[in-house]
Amino acid sequence: MMTTRFVTIAQTADIQPGELAAFEVECVRIAVANVAGRFFAIDDTCTHEQCSLATEGTLEGTVVTCGCHGAQFDVTTGAVLAPPAPEPVKAYPLHVDQGNLVVEV
Amino acid sequence: MPPTFVIVGASLAGGTAAATLRQEGFDGDIILIGEEAHLPYERPPLSKQYLRGEMSFAKALVRPSGFYEENRIDTRFGVAATRLDPADRKVDLATGESVHYDKLLIATGVRNRRPPIPGLHLQNVFDLRSVADADALRAEIRPGRKAVVIGMGFIGCEVAASLRQKGVDVVCIDPSPTPLFRVLGEQLGQVISTIQRDHGVETVFEDVVTRFEGDGRVERVITKRDRRIDCDFAVVGVGVEPVIEFVADSRVESSNGILVDEYCRTNVLDIYAAGDVANHYHPVVRKRLRVEHWQNAMQQGAAAARSMLGKAKPYDAVHWFWSDQYGINLQYAGFQQKWDQVVVRGNLDARNLIAFYLTHGRIDAVVALNRGKDVRRVMPLIKARATVDPRQLRDESVDLRSLIESRLSGAQI
Repeated sequence: MMTTRFVTIAQTADIQPGELAAFEVECVRIAVANVAGRFFAIDDTCTHEQCSLATEGTLEGTVVTCGCHGAQFDVTTGAVLAPPAPEPVKAYPLHVDQGNLVVEV
Repeated sequence: MPPTFVIVGASLAGGTAAATLRQEGFDGDIILIGEEAHLPYERPPLSKQYLRGEMSFAKALVRPSGFYEENRIDTRFGVAATRLDPADRKVDLATGESVHYDKLLIATGVRNRRPPIPGLHLQNVFDLRSVADADALRAEIRPGRKAVVIGMGFIGCEVAASLRQKGVDVVCIDPSPTPLFRVLGEQLGQVISTIQRDHGVETVFEDVVTRFEGDGRVERVITKRDRRIDCDFAVVGVGVEPVIEFVADSRVESSNGILVDEYCRTNVLDIYAAGDVANHYHPVVRKRLRVEHWQNAMQQGAAAARSMLGKAKPYDAVHWFWSDQYGINLQYAGFQQKWDQVVVRGNLDARNLIAFYLTHGRIDAVVALNRGKDVRRVMPLIKARATVDPRQLRDESVDLRSLIESRLSGAQI
């Protein structure tokens, strides 16, 4: 049975607005985006060629562009906005609790 | 009668255009005609993952197989369009059939140049454009076999890398002093050359193939400087030519491709062109140019479709492409044919760098190795035709984003 777990992965101060950072949570790399003070969590691994979205990618508004081949995802939903990514990335619910970034995995 | 839009050429540009017409709400008939007997597919994997047997053909499709029927797109694959008659608004097909159009998009692409070298017809002398070409080449790949790659452009470099990764011995031949010499210049060309040699490729520069020899199938390649290179197969990648015979006796103007404006319109009303075949006016570069990039085929195909629907916006995307070789990610953005300065940020030896191609200090293009993030950050500067102090470009402590931000906050915009 799947159980939801709440994992504190970082503090809000760790990620500047317009930036992304990657965290490993239970063997999954999760990218957290700071969109003008709002935080979103998605899988960090691009579905095209497995590049790290946080390390290689750039964030403009809510759109992350993979640095390897230009695929774009919506960080709020994980949806593909531009190819060559064939599939969306998973989006994770994220809560801010007293400055802690808490991800549901 | 609902209008009929016909698309000649069913590759990335044509397939994307058909899909975009429906996305944008076009309710008329769409006929998509392609010479290859395949659903529209993307070609970048053919020299890389597909060639190495790491990816299925289905994954390369522009849209899934059911897409065209579901979207009422009438497809004619494996059928060449032979003649265009703008006066009667019809396209003749190789089957003898003619189809009427109200608007027409030409997306016929390019074909590989076949230089007049004796022995080119021998078995196992390959070139690479279609999935059929890739299948034929792939069947020859086995560890320990010997291949000669002729032409060190992007296709040649990628094929050489894929062959090495599969254990094939590779000799590359190019008339220039380095690979990609015309596009990247000597300094960056040398970096690519070193990458290839580090992976065991034997490189032969400033020499050309004069003859393929063999009894039925190629056994050796002879060069102008009298090199004799034994091989089991050869791959020729020496450039392309636009496929424009289809418009030959029409009034549609062509010169290095079909001539179109920034709205993908030809000189003939209701006829458009997009993708590799389109010699298009680019508002950023301020002249006509023709490129063979994945991104251009996709975005210009979509732009042409919107233009056909009367929703035209100037197509002014900064051209961009990538080339993966041995796990190194090369990206290029912009367009230039000559430059007066190359400024490098990063480390050539570590293959972690971005190089700026400048004319009078204006950034016309960049190439990056393993620095895609920087390419994204420079693209707005290229689009703005920005003139930037080379010291700032070279200095790693200067955030490239700050250069465009300072421009945008300046009074001139």
